[in-house]
Amino acid sequence: MKKVIKITGVLFLVAVLAAAYVWFFVYNKPHRNFEKAKPEIVESARQIYQNFKANPRAAEAGKVIEIYGLPTGIEHSDSLVVVVFAFQKGMFGNEGVRCTVLPDFRKEASKLSLSDTIYIKGFCSGYNGTDVILEDCSIIHKKKIIKS
Amino acid sequence: MKKIILFVFILLIANTSFAQRYLSKTGSISFYSDAPLEKIEAQNHQVNCALDTKSGFFVVKILMRSFIFEKALMQEHFNEDYVESDKFPNAFFKGKIVNLKDINFSKPGIYSAVIEGQMTIHGITRPVKAKGTFTISKNGILARAKFPLKIGNYGISIPDVLTGKIATEVEISTNIYLKPLK
Repeated sequence: MKKVIKITGVLFLVAVLAAAYVWFFVYNKPHRNFEKAKPEIVESARQIYQNFKANPRAAEAGKVIEIYGLPTGIEHSDSLVVVVFAFQKGMFGNEGVRCTVLPDFRKEASKLSLSDTIYIKGFCSGYNGTDVILEDCSIIHKKKIIKS
Repeated sequence: MKKIILFVFILLIANTSFAQRYLSKTGSISFYSDAPLEKIEAQNHQVNCALDTKSGFFVVKILMRSFIFEKALMQEHFNEDYVESDKFPNAFFKGKIVNLKDINFSKPGIYSAVIEGQMTIHGITRPVKAKGTFTISKNGILARAKFPLKIGNYGISIPDVLTGKIATEVEISTNIYLKPLK
């Protein structure tokens, strides 16, 4: 009898642990931390834009990538801060790469100089026909351009 | 004298054409559905939108992977199993304001609008009619609308196990602030 109770108790415990695992790590698993994620691709902002112009389903879509280049603008919209690398004009105005930064980087992004090359990492949502979209971006580091 | 008249004429045309096209690249679209198993809500703040106030032409481009859900698992299912974002990365709406004559885009105020057009989601195009408002201010236009959308019309199927537990109709809300094209 004691054995039956023991087995039942162990099975119950396993079931509770399994349910807790599914609840916390499957059903309610946290969103990926893109700030800590390792980029799968590193390339210039111009290069990624050209890749998507040539193929709207370029390999960068759905991946964490790091890009670099000279930003052409910093846009503020509601609470969003977007670092823009524009390369041409189209129906929707400037077209290029748009990087929405994570809340922790909004202050830093707002103060970026447009004459500094920046390195920015984020999740590439894809190409919407005009712009390549990077989300949850973090600013890696800045390098001063050496003007000769 | 002819040159001056020509110059003024060009200026007028340029001014008119600039003032008639409004754009947004940070428009917001959300959808919501309430069902016995799960409430589903997602938001997208990267919506492209263009409005031509002269013709009433209205275009919206939505990158599907930019929809953000509260639960990461839901977001994964949405992209991989339902809308198949890899195959169909964008949704589009192309349409026109039906009651364009009732809206004075040069006078600030709130105007009711009816928009009709074609919506493409998951590679399937269907007609859509939506009611909303345009709030016109000195600096731009706020476009708001709410309308239901049957996901089955766009080839998005719900597994048999979940039939009745997940809503087949979602409510779409838009909140897009358009600025004049410079």
